Amino acid sequence: MNDTTGGERPRIVMTGAGKRYDALQVFCDIDLDVGEREVLAIIGPSGCGKTTLLRCIDGLLALSAGEIRIEGERMVAPREGVAMVFQHFGLFPWKTVFQNVAYGLKLAGCPKAEISARVPKYINLVGLAGFEGYYPYQISGGMQQRCGLARALSVEPRVLLMDEPFGAVDAQTREILQFELLRIWEMRPTTMVFVTHSIDEAVLMGDRVMVLQGRPSRVHEIIAVDLPRPRDRATLAMPRFAALRERVWGALMDDARRAEFEVKR
Amino acid sequence: MLSTHPAALEPPPAAFMTGARRLLGSALALKLVAGVLLLIVWEAVVRSFAPAYVAKPSGIARVFGAVISNDEFLAAATATLGAVVKGLAVAILVGVAVGLAMGRISVVERGLRYYVNSLFATPMIAILPLVTLWFGYNADARLAVVVFAAFFSIAVNTSDGARAVPLEYLEVAHSFRARPFSTLLDIVLPSSLPYLIAGLRLAAGRALVAAVVAEFFISIPGLGYYILFHSRTFKHNEAFVAVIALVAVGVSFEALLNWITRRYLPWARRD
Repeated sequence: MNDTTGGERPRIVMTGAGKRYDALQVFCDIDLDVGEREVLAIIGPSGCGKTTLLRCIDGLLALSAGEIRIEGERMVAPREGVAMVFQHFGLFPWKTVFQNVAYGLKLAGCPKAEISARVPKYINLVGLAGFEGYYPYQISGGMQQRCGLARALSVEPRVLLMDEPFGAVDAQTREILQFELLRIWEMRPTTMVFVTHSIDEAVLMGDRVMVLQGRPSRVHEIIAVDLPRPRDRATLAMPRFAALRERVWGALMDDARRAEFEVKR
Repeated sequence: MLSTHPAALEPPPAAFMTGARRLLGSALALKLVAGVLLLIVWEAVVRSFAPAYVAKPSGIARVFGAVISNDEFLAAATATLGAVVKGLAVAILVGVAVGLAMGRISVVERGLRYYVNSLFATPMIAILPLVTLWFGYNADARLAVVVFAAFFSIAVNTSDGARAVPLEYLEVAHSFRARPFSTLLDIVLPSSLPYLIAGLRLAAGRALVAAVVAEFFISIPGLGYYILFHSRTFKHNEAFVAVIALVAVGVSFEALLNWITRRYLPWARRD
Protein backbone atom coordinates (compact mmCIF):
# COMPACT_ATOMS: atom_id res chain seq x y z
CA MET A 1 0.00 0.00 0.00
CA ASN A 2 2.95 2.29 -0.48
CA ASP A 3 1.81 3.66 -3.81
CA THR A 4 1.92 7.44 -3.65
CA THR A 5 0.57 9.36 -6.60
CA GLY A 6 2.92 10.81 -9.19
CA GLY A 7 5.89 8.72 -8.09
CA GLU A 8 6.97 11.38 -5.60
CA ARG A 9 9.07 10.87 -2.52
CA PRO A 10 6.73 10.26 0.40
CA ARG A 11 6.63 13.02 3.00
CA ILE A 12 4.65 11.08 5.59
CA VAL A 13 5.40 7.40 6.20
CA MET A 14 3.19 5.39 8.53
CA THR A 15 4.28 1.86 9.40
CA GLY A 16 2.25 -0.44 11.60
CA ALA A 17 0.73 2.57 13.36
CA GLY A 18 -1.58 1.63 16.22
CA LYS A 19 -3.13 3.42 19.17
CA ARG A 20 -4.74 1.97 22.27
CA TYR A 21 -6.21 3.55 25.40
CA ASP A 22 -5.91 0.88 28.09
CA ALA A 23 -8.35 -1.82 26.97
CA LEU A 24 -9.61 0.11 23.95
CA GLN A 25 -7.67 -0.47 20.74
CA VAL A 26 -8.61 2.53 18.58
CA PHE A 27 -6.80 1.66 15.34
CA CYS A 28 -4.00 -0.67 14.33
CA ASP A 29 -1.80 -1.81 11.47
CA ILE A 30 -1.93 1.40 9.48
CA ASP A 31 0.70 1.41 6.76
CA LEU A 32 0.59 4.29 4.34
CA ASP A 33 2.77 6.85 2.61
CA VAL A 34 1.61 10.32 1.68
CA GLY A 35 3.41 12.13 -1.14
CA GLU A 36 4.85 15.63 -1.17
CA ARG A 37 2.03 17.19 -3.13
CA GLU A 38 -0.66 14.74 -2.22
CA VAL A 39 -3.96 15.26 -0.45
CA LEU A 40 -5.01 12.23 1.56
CA ALA A 41 -8.61 12.22 2.73
CA ILE A 42 -9.41 10.01 5.70
CA ILE A 43 -13.01 8.93 6.16
CA GLY A 44 -14.71 6.49 8.47
CA PRO A 45 -17.67 6.09 10.82
CA SER A 46 -17.91 8.22 13.96
CA GLY A 47 -15.57 7.05 16.67
CA CYS A 48 -13.32 5.17 14.25
CA GLY A 49 -10.29 7.11 15.41
CA LYS A 50 -9.61 9.24 12.36
CA THR A 51 -9.12 12.33 14.48
CA THR A 52 -6.91 10.36 16.88
CA LEU A 53 -4.79 9.22 13.95
CA LEU A 54 -4.42 12.83 12.80
CA ARG A 55 -3.29 13.87 16.29
CA CYS A 56 -0.72 11.09 16.21
CA ILE A 57 0.55 12.38 12.85
CA ASP A 58 0.89 15.87 14.39
CA GLY A 59 2.74 14.41 17.38
CA LEU A 60 0.07 15.63 19.82
CA LEU A 61 -0.58 12.02 20.86
CA ALA A 62 1.91 9.17 21.10
CA LEU A 63 1.35 5.95 19.16
CA SER A 64 1.13 2.66 21.04
CA ALA A 65 2.60 0.65 18.18
CA GLY A 66 4.51 1.27 14.96
CA GLU A 67 5.72 4.70 13.91
CA ILE A 68 4.92 7.75 11.86
CA ARG A 69 7.74 9.62 10.15
CA ILE A 70 7.54 13.02 8.54
CA GLU A 71 10.47 13.93 6.29
CA GLY A 72 12.25 10.96 7.82
CA GLU A 73 11.86 12.19 11.37
CA ARG A 74 9.91 10.11 13.84
CA MET A 75 6.93 12.02 15.26
CA VAL A 76 6.98 12.03 19.03
CA ALA A 77 6.08 15.70 19.49
CA PRO A 78 4.79 18.49 17.24
CA ARG A 79 7.52 19.71 14.92
CA GLU A 80 8.31 22.63 12.65
CA GLY A 81 6.81 22.42 9.16
CA VAL A 82 3.59 20.72 10.27
CA ALA A 83 0.46 22.71 11.11
CA MET A 84 -3.03 21.70 12.07
CA VAL A 85 -6.48 23.20 11.52
CA PHE A 86 -8.98 22.16 14.19
CA GLN A 87 -12.67 21.40 13.99
CA HIS A 88 -13.18 23.54 17.09
CA PHE A 89 -11.20 26.37 15.38
CA GLY A 90 -9.09 26.76 18.52
CA LEU A 91 -8.98 30.56 18.24
CA PHE A 92 -8.07 32.41 21.42
CA PRO A 93 -11.02 34.67 22.33
CA TRP A 94 -8.76 37.31 23.91
CA LYS A 95 -6.75 37.73 20.71
CA THR A 96 -7.89 39.61 17.62
CA VAL A 97 -7.89 37.99 14.19
CA PHE A 98 -4.44 39.51 13.58
CA GLN A 99 -3.04 38.28 16.89
CA ASN A 100 -4.50 34.80 16.39
CA VAL A 101 -2.93 34.50 12.94
CA ALA A 102 0.37 35.79 14.33
CA TYR A 103 0.38 33.23 17.16
CA GLY A 104 2.21 30.46 15.31
CA LEU A 105 4.77 32.86 13.86
CA LYS A 106 5.43 34.38 17.27
CA LEU A 107 6.08 30.95 18.76
CA ALA A 108 8.35 30.07 15.84
CA GLY A 109 10.52 33.04 16.87
CA CYS A 110 9.69 35.10 13.81
CA PRO A 111 10.98 38.70 14.06
CA LYS A 112 8.32 41.40 14.56
CA ALA A 113 8.88 43.04 11.20
CA GLU A 114 8.36 39.76 9.39
CA ILE A 115 5.22 39.00 11.38
CA SER A 116 3.68 42.33 10.43
CA ALA A 117 4.50 41.63 6.79
CA ARG A 118 3.37 38.01 6.67
CA VAL A 119 0.17 38.09 8.72
CA PRO A 120 -1.73 40.50 6.42
CA LYS A 121 -0.68 38.37 3.46
CA TYR A 122 -2.41 35.31 4.87
CA ILE A 123 -5.37 37.28 6.18
CA ASN A 124 -5.88 38.49 2.60
CA LEU A 125 -5.40 34.99 1.23
CA VAL A 126 -8.28 33.60 3.29
CA GLY A 127 -10.47 36.62 2.55
CA LEU A 128 -10.46 38.23 5.98
CA ALA A 129 -8.97 41.60 4.96
CA GLY A 130 -10.60 44.36 7.00
CA PHE A 131 -11.31 42.09 9.97
CA GLU A 132 -7.79 42.15 11.49
CA GLY A 133 -8.93 43.96 14.63
CA TYR A 134 -12.04 41.86 15.30
CA TYR A 135 -12.31 39.36 18.12
CA PRO A 136 -13.50 35.83 17.35
CA TYR A 137 -16.85 36.39 19.08
CA GLN A 138 -17.55 39.22 16.65
CA ILE A 139 -17.23 37.12 13.48
CA SER A 140 -19.17 34.17 12.07
CA GLY A 141 -18.13 30.52 12.37
CA GLY A 142 -17.00 30.46 8.73
CA MET A 143 -14.83 33.52 9.27
CA GLN A 144 -13.42 32.00 12.43
CA GLN A 145 -12.30 28.95 10.51
CA ARG A 146 -10.80 31.17 7.80
CA CYS A 147 -8.78 32.69 10.63
CA GLY A 148 -7.78 29.22 11.88
CA LEU A 149 -6.70 28.34 8.35
CA ALA A 150 -4.66 31.55 8.03
CA ARG A 151 -2.94 30.78 11.33
CA ALA A 152 -1.91 27.35 10.06
CA LEU A 153 -0.87 28.63 6.61
CA SER A 154 1.14 31.56 7.97
CA VAL A 155 3.89 29.30 9.31
CA GLU A 156 4.20 28.00 5.71
CA PRO A 157 3.89 24.33 6.65
CA ARG A 158 5.01 21.52 4.37
CA VAL A 159 2.35 19.30 5.93
CA LEU A 160 -1.14 20.63 6.59
CA LEU A 161 -3.35 18.53 8.85
CA MET A 162 -7.07 19.23 8.65
CA ASP A 163 -9.25 17.83 11.42
CA GLU A 164 -12.83 17.99 10.08
CA PRO A 165 -12.15 21.68 9.52
CA PHE A 166 -15.60 22.46 8.14
CA GLY A 167 -17.56 20.15 10.43
CA ALA A 168 -18.76 22.96 12.68
CA VAL A 169 -19.99 25.42 10.04
CA ASP A 170 -23.30 25.45 8.18
CA ALA A 171 -23.76 23.66 4.86
CA GLN A 172 -23.46 26.67 2.54
CA THR A 173 -20.42 28.06 4.32
CA ARG A 174 -18.89 24.61 4.20
CA GLU A 175 -19.15 24.54 0.39
CA ILE A 176 -17.71 28.02 0.07
CA LEU A 177 -14.79 27.11 2.30
CA GLN A 178 -14.11 23.86 0.43
CA PHE A 179 -13.61 25.72 -2.83
CA GLU A 180 -11.58 28.43 -1.10
CA LEU A 181 -9.30 25.74 0.30
CA LEU A 182 -8.92 24.11 -3.12
CA ARG A 183 -8.00 27.50 -4.59
CA ILE A 184 -5.44 28.14 -1.85
CA TRP A 185 -3.97 24.64 -2.16
CA GLU A 186 -3.55 25.16 -5.95
CA MET A 187 -1.49 28.27 -5.24
CA ARG A 188 0.79 26.44 -2.84
CA PRO A 189 0.39 22.67 -3.12
CA THR A 190 1.65 20.87 -0.03
CA THR A 191 1.08 17.57 1.68
CA MET A 192 -2.39 17.62 3.20
CA VAL A 193 -4.18 15.08 5.35
CA PHE A 194 -7.87 15.85 5.49
CA VAL A 195 -10.10 14.11 8.00
CA THR A 196 -13.81 14.30 7.24
CA HIS A 197 -17.03 12.36 7.59
CA SER A 198 -18.48 13.83 4.44
CA ILE A 199 -18.11 11.52 1.43
CA ASP A 200 -18.44 14.42 -1.02
CA GLU A 201 -15.75 16.37 0.78
CA ALA A 202 -13.38 13.40 0.84
CA VAL A 203 -13.73 12.82 -2.92
CA LEU A 204 -13.58 16.54 -3.76
CA MET A 205 -10.42 17.16 -1.72
CA GLY A 206 -8.46 13.95 -1.88
CA ASP A 207 -6.02 12.46 -4.34
CA ARG A 208 -6.74 9.29 -2.43
CA VAL A 209 -9.47 8.45 0.06
CA MET A 210 -8.53 6.16 2.92
CA VAL A 211 -11.54 4.38 4.38
CA LEU A 212 -11.10 3.27 7.98
CA GLN A 213 -13.32 0.49 9.28
CA GLY A 214 -13.78 -2.12 11.95
CA ARG A 215 -13.11 -2.36 15.66
CA PRO A 216 -10.30 -1.61 16.06
CA SER A 217 -10.14 0.44 12.88
CA ARG A 218 -7.97 -0.74 10.05
CA VAL A 219 -7.43 0.53 6.52
CA HIS A 220 -10.45 -0.97 4.80
CA GLU A 221 -9.80 0.42 1.34
CA ILE A 222 -7.77 3.10 -0.38
CA ILE A 223 -9.55 4.65 -3.31
CA ALA A 224 -7.55 6.67 -5.83
CA VAL A 225 -9.41 9.79 -6.94
CA ASP A 226 -8.49 10.39 -10.56
CA LEU A 227 -10.37 13.63 -10.94
CA PRO A 228 -8.45 16.39 -12.74
CA ARG A 229 -7.08 19.39 -10.86
CA PRO A 230 -7.71 22.23 -10.39
CA ARG A 231 -11.03 21.14 -8.99
CA ASP A 232 -13.97 23.48 -8.64
CA ARG A 233 -17.75 23.44 -8.66
CA ALA A 234 -17.76 21.81 -12.08
CA THR A 235 -15.97 18.80 -10.58
CA LEU A 236 -19.09 18.01 -8.57
CA ALA A 237 -21.07 17.60 -11.81
CA MET A 238 -18.68 15.09 -13.39
CA PRO A 239 -19.98 11.54 -13.86
CA ARG A 240 -16.62 10.34 -12.56
CA PHE A 241 -17.23 12.25 -9.30
CA ALA A 242 -20.55 10.47 -8.86
CA ALA A 243 -18.95 7.09 -9.55
CA LEU A 244 -16.18 7.68 -7.00
CA ARG A 245 -18.70 8.93 -4.51
CA GLU A 246 -20.65 5.67 -4.91
CA ARG A 247 -17.49 3.62 -4.40
CA VAL A 248 -16.60 5.39 -1.16
CA TRP A 249 -20.23 5.14 -0.08
CA GLY A 250 -20.21 1.39 -0.71
CA ALA A 251 -16.97 0.94 1.22
CA LEU A 252 -18.38 2.84 4.18
CA MET A 253 -21.92 1.56 4.33
CA ASP A 254 -21.67 -2.07 5.45
CA ASP A 255 -19.91 -0.97 8.55
CA ALA A 256 -22.04 2.10 9.16
CA ARG A 257 -25.18 0.00 9.08
CA ARG A 258 -23.66 -2.50 11.46
CA ALA A 259 -22.62 0.32 13.80
CA GLU A 260 -26.08 1.87 13.77
CA PHE A 261 -27.75 -1.32 14.96
CA GLU A 262 -25.06 -2.28 17.42
CA VAL A 263 -26.33 -2.78 20.95
CA LYS A 264 -24.27 -0.86 23.49
CA ARG A 265 -23.05 -2.92 26.41
CA MET B 1 -15.55 36.71 -0.05
CA LEU B 2 -17.41 37.99 2.95
CA SER B 3 -17.58 41.77 3.04
CA THR B 4 -20.59 42.34 5.27
CA HIS B 5 -19.91 43.32 8.83
CA PRO B 6 -21.00 40.93 11.57
CA ALA B 7 -24.52 41.27 12.85
CA ALA B 8 -23.30 41.69 16.43
CA LEU B 9 -21.89 45.12 15.59
CA GLU B 10 -24.92 46.55 13.85
CA PRO B 11 -26.79 49.18 15.85
CA PRO B 12 -30.14 47.92 17.11
CA PRO B 13 -33.28 49.38 15.51
CA ALA B 14 -34.14 52.95 16.53
CA ALA B 15 -37.54 52.09 18.05
CA PHE B 16 -35.90 49.63 20.43
CA MET B 17 -33.35 52.24 21.50
CA THR B 18 -35.88 54.92 22.46
CA GLY B 19 -37.89 52.33 24.35
CA ALA B 20 -34.84 51.25 26.32
CA ARG B 21 -33.89 54.85 27.02
CA ARG B 22 -37.34 55.68 28.35
CA LEU B 23 -37.18 52.64 30.66
CA LEU B 24 -33.72 53.70 31.85
CA GLY B 25 -34.97 57.24 32.47
CA SER B 26 -37.87 56.06 34.58
CA ALA B 27 -35.59 53.68 36.51
CA LEU B 28 -33.32 56.61 37.35
CA ALA B 29 -36.29 58.70 38.46
CA LEU B 30 -37.47 55.81 40.63
CA LYS B 31 -34.04 55.52 42.25
CA LEU B 32 -33.94 59.23 43.03
CA VAL B 33 -37.45 59.26 44.52
CA ALA B 34 -36.65 56.21 46.68
CA GLY B 35 -33.39 57.81 47.85
CA VAL B 36 -35.05 61.07 48.81
CA LEU B 37 -37.83 59.20 50.65
CA LEU B 38 -35.27 57.20 52.64
CA LEU B 39 -33.44 60.39 53.62
CA ILE B 40 -36.71 62.01 54.72
CA VAL B 41 -37.64 58.98 56.84
CA TRP B 42 -34.14 58.92 58.38
CA GLU B 43 -34.25 62.64 59.18
CA ALA B 44 -37.76 62.40 60.66
CA VAL B 45 -37.00 59.36 62.82
CA VAL B 46 -33.79 60.85 64.23
CA ARG B 47 -35.43 64.23 64.94
CA SER B 48 -38.41 62.63 66.70
CA PHE B 49 -36.76 59.88 68.74
CA ALA B 50 -32.95 60.27 68.95
CA PRO B 51 -30.61 62.56 70.88
CA ALA B 52 -29.22 65.57 69.02
CA TYR B 53 -25.76 64.09 68.41
CA VAL B 54 -27.07 61.14 66.33
CA ALA B 55 -26.21 61.46 62.64
CA LYS B 56 -28.98 62.72 60.37
CA PRO B 57 -28.94 63.85 56.72
CA SER B 58 -29.16 67.57 57.48
CA GLY B 59 -26.36 67.30 60.06
CA ILE B 60 -24.13 65.33 57.67
CA ALA B 61 -24.77 67.85 54.91
CA ARG B 62 -23.82 70.67 57.29
CA VAL B 63 -20.40 69.21 58.26
CA PHE B 64 -19.63 67.46 54.95
CA GLY B 65 -17.65 70.27 53.29
CA ALA B 66 -15.62 71.03 56.41
CA VAL B 67 -14.77 67.36 57.02
CA ILE B 68 -13.61 66.46 53.52
CA SER B 69 -11.33 69.50 53.37
CA ASN B 70 -9.97 68.79 56.86
CA ASP B 71 -6.31 67.67 56.94
CA GLU B 72 -6.85 65.03 59.58
CA PHE B 73 -9.66 63.46 57.55
CA LEU B 74 -7.64 63.55 54.33
CA ALA B 75 -4.66 61.92 56.07
CA ALA B 76 -6.96 59.23 57.45
CA ALA B 77 -8.53 58.56 54.03
CA THR B 78 -5.12 58.44 52.35
CA ALA B 79 -3.79 56.02 54.96
CA THR B 80 -6.72 53.60 54.64
CA LEU B 81 -6.85 53.74 50.86
CA GLY B 82 -3.06 53.38 50.66
CA ALA B 83 -3.12 50.26 52.84
CA VAL B 84 -5.93 48.73 50.77
CA VAL B 85 -4.22 49.43 47.45
CA LYS B 86 -0.82 48.25 48.67
CA GLY B 87 -2.34 45.14 50.25
CA LEU B 88 -4.32 44.32 47.13
CA ALA B 89 -1.20 44.74 44.99
CA VAL B 90 0.73 42.25 47.12
CA ALA B 91 -2.26 39.88 47.23
CA ILE B 92 -2.63 40.02 43.44
CA LEU B 93 1.06 39.37 42.74
CA VAL B 94 1.39 36.45 45.14
CA GLY B 95 -2.20 35.21 44.74
CA VAL B 96 -1.96 34.99 40.93
CA ALA B 97 1.37 33.16 41.13
CA VAL B 98 0.08 30.68 43.72
CA GLY B 99 -3.26 30.32 41.91
CA LEU B 100 -1.63 29.59 38.54
CA ALA B 101 0.72 27.06 40.15
CA MET B 102 -2.19 25.37 41.92
CA GLY B 103 -4.31 25.34 38.79
CA ARG B 104 -1.70 23.86 36.48
CA ILE B 105 0.64 21.77 38.65
CA SER B 106 -1.17 18.90 40.29
CA VAL B 107 1.46 18.36 43.01
CA VAL B 108 1.04 21.98 44.15
CA GLU B 109 -2.74 21.68 43.91
CA ARG B 110 -2.90 18.49 45.94
CA GLY B 111 -0.49 19.87 48.52
CA LEU B 112 -2.04 23.30 49.01
CA ARG B 113 -5.74 23.16 48.14
CA TYR B 114 -6.88 21.98 51.55
CA TYR B 115 -5.01 24.73 53.38
CA VAL B 116 -5.82 27.51 50.95
CA ASN B 117 -9.53 26.65 51.05
CA SER B 118 -9.49 26.47 54.85
CA LEU B 119 -7.77 29.81 55.20
CA PHE B 120 -10.11 31.30 52.59
CA ALA B 121 -12.97 30.36 54.91
CA THR B 122 -11.21 31.73 58.01
CA PRO B 123 -12.53 35.13 59.16
CA MET B 124 -9.47 37.39 58.97
CA ILE B 125 -10.62 39.28 62.06
CA ALA B 126 -9.85 36.16 64.08
CA ILE B 127 -6.12 36.48 63.39
CA LEU B 128 -5.98 40.21 64.08
CA PRO B 129 -4.82 39.90 67.74
CA LEU B 130 -2.12 37.45 66.64
CA VAL B 131 -0.95 39.76 63.85
CA THR B 132 -0.50 42.62 66.32
CA LEU B 133 1.75 40.35 68.36
CA TRP B 134 3.96 39.74 65.35
CA PHE B 135 3.97 43.23 63.84
CA GLY B 136 3.15 45.48 66.80
CA TYR B 137 0.34 48.03 66.99
CA ASN B 138 1.21 49.82 63.74
CA ALA B 139 0.40 50.20 60.07
CA ASP B 140 2.32 47.00 59.18
CA ALA B 141 -0.22 44.96 61.12
CA ARG B 142 -3.04 46.60 59.15
CA LEU B 143 -1.26 45.85 55.88
CA ALA B 144 -0.76 42.23 56.92
CA VAL B 145 -4.46 41.78 57.71
CA VAL B 146 -5.45 43.37 54.40
CA VAL B 147 -3.12 41.01 52.48
CA PHE B 148 -4.42 38.03 54.44
CA ALA B 149 -8.04 39.04 53.74
CA ALA B 150 -7.49 39.57 50.00
CA PHE B 151 -4.94 36.88 49.13
CA PHE B 152 -7.04 33.73 49.39
CA SER B 153 -10.00 34.79 47.28
CA ILE B 154 -7.56 35.76 44.51
CA ALA B 155 -5.56 32.53 44.79
CA VAL B 156 -8.69 30.34 44.89
CA ASN B 157 -10.33 32.06 41.92
CA THR B 158 -7.16 32.14 39.82
CA SER B 159 -6.55 28.45 40.42
CA ASP B 160 -10.15 27.66 39.42
CA GLY B 161 -9.62 29.70 36.26
CA ALA B 162 -6.29 28.05 35.48
CA ARG B 163 -7.84 24.63 35.87
CA ALA B 164 -10.78 25.55 33.65
CA VAL B 165 -8.64 26.48 30.61
CA PRO B 166 -10.35 24.70 27.70
CA LEU B 167 -8.27 21.76 26.46
CA GLU B 168 -8.68 23.04 22.90
CA TYR B 169 -6.53 26.08 23.65
CA LEU B 170 -3.81 23.94 25.20
CA GLU B 171 -3.94 21.59 22.23
CA VAL B 172 -3.43 24.50 19.82
CA ALA B 173 -0.51 25.76 21.90
CA HIS B 174 1.01 22.28 21.94
CA SER B 175 0.54 21.89 18.19
CA PHE B 176 2.40 25.16 17.59
CA ARG B 177 5.16 23.94 19.91
CA ALA B 178 4.64 26.47 22.71
CA ARG B 179 6.96 26.13 25.68
CA PRO B 180 5.32 25.64 29.08
CA PHE B 181 6.17 29.15 30.27
CA SER B 182 4.83 30.78 27.12
CA THR B 183 1.65 28.71 27.43
CA LEU B 184 1.27 29.93 30.99
CA LEU B 185 1.60 33.62 30.08
CA ASP B 186 -0.04 33.51 26.66
CA ILE B 187 -2.90 31.04 27.21
CA VAL B 188 -3.49 30.11 30.86
CA LEU B 189 -3.27 33.62 32.31
CA PRO B 190 -5.57 35.40 29.82
CA SER B 191 -7.99 32.49 29.90
CA SER B 192 -8.14 32.79 33.72
CA LEU B 193 -8.63 36.58 33.70
CA PRO B 194 -12.44 36.52 34.09
CA TYR B 195 -12.00 34.31 37.17
CA LEU B 196 -9.25 36.59 38.47
CA ILE B 197 -11.51 39.63 38.10
CA ALA B 198 -14.26 37.83 40.05
CA GLY B 199 -11.73 37.01 42.76
CA LEU B 200 -10.54 40.62 42.79
CA ARG B 201 -14.09 41.89 43.24
CA LEU B 202 -14.39 39.73 46.34
CA ALA B 203 -10.87 40.58 47.53
CA ALA B 204 -11.43 44.35 47.27
CA GLY B 205 -14.45 44.19 49.56
CA ARG B 206 -12.67 41.96 52.05
CA ALA B 207 -9.58 44.19 52.00
CA LEU B 208 -11.63 47.27 52.80
CA VAL B 209 -13.34 45.52 55.72
CA ALA B 210 -9.96 44.28 56.96
CA ALA B 211 -8.41 47.76 56.89
CA VAL B 212 -11.30 49.36 58.80
CA VAL B 213 -11.47 46.60 61.43
CA ALA B 214 -7.70 46.69 61.87
CA GLU B 215 -7.91 50.45 62.51
CA PHE B 216 -10.67 49.92 65.08
CA PHE B 217 -8.53 47.39 66.89
CA ILE B 218 -5.07 48.91 66.54
CA SER B 219 -6.05 52.58 66.79
CA ILE B 220 -3.85 53.88 63.99
CA PRO B 221 -4.81 56.83 61.77
CA GLY B 222 -7.32 55.82 59.11
CA LEU B 223 -11.00 56.08 58.22
CA GLY B 224 -11.88 53.25 60.62
CA TYR B 225 -10.22 54.98 63.52
CA TYR B 226 -11.73 58.30 62.41
CA ILE B 227 -15.19 56.74 62.67
CA LEU B 228 -14.41 55.17 66.04
CA PHE B 229 -12.98 58.36 67.54
CA HIS B 230 -15.79 60.66 66.35
CA SER B 231 -18.49 58.20 67.43
CA ARG B 232 -17.07 58.07 70.93
CA THR B 233 -16.85 61.86 71.11
CA PHE B 234 -20.49 62.21 70.01
CA LYS B 235 -19.65 63.65 66.59
CA HIS B 236 -21.78 61.20 64.65
CA ASN B 237 -22.27 63.47 61.67
CA GLU B 238 -18.50 63.71 61.16
CA ALA B 239 -18.13 59.95 61.62
CA PHE B 240 -20.78 59.36 59.00
CA VAL B 241 -18.86 61.37 56.40
CA ALA B 242 -16.07 58.80 56.78
CA VAL B 243 -18.62 56.02 56.25
CA ILE B 244 -19.70 57.74 53.03
CA ALA B 245 -16.04 57.92 51.99
CA LEU B 246 -15.70 54.16 52.52
CA VAL B 247 -18.85 53.53 50.45
CA ALA B 248 -17.35 55.71 47.71
CA VAL B 249 -14.11 53.71 47.76
CA GLY B 250 -15.99 50.38 47.54
CA VAL B 251 -18.21 51.58 44.72
CA SER B 252 -15.20 53.03 42.85
CA PHE B 253 -13.39 49.68 42.99
CA GLU B 254 -16.47 48.00 41.59
CA ALA B 255 -16.76 50.59 38.83
CA LEU B 256 -13.06 50.30 38.01
CA LEU B 257 -13.32 46.51 37.66
CA ASN B 258 -16.39 46.84 35.46
CA TRP B 259 -14.59 49.35 33.29
CA ILE B 260 -11.53 47.09 32.99
CA THR B 261 -13.77 44.18 32.01
CA ARG B 262 -15.57 46.20 29.35
CA ARG B 263 -12.42 47.82 28.01
CA TYR B 264 -9.91 44.96 28.07
CA LEU B 265 -11.99 41.76 28.29
CA PRO B 266 -14.83 42.39 25.86
CA TRP B 267 -14.70 38.71 24.92
CA ALA B 268 -15.19 37.45 28.46
CA ARG B 269 -18.96 37.84 28.70
CA ARG B 270 -19.75 36.18 25.41
CA ASP B 271 -18.76 32.54 25.85
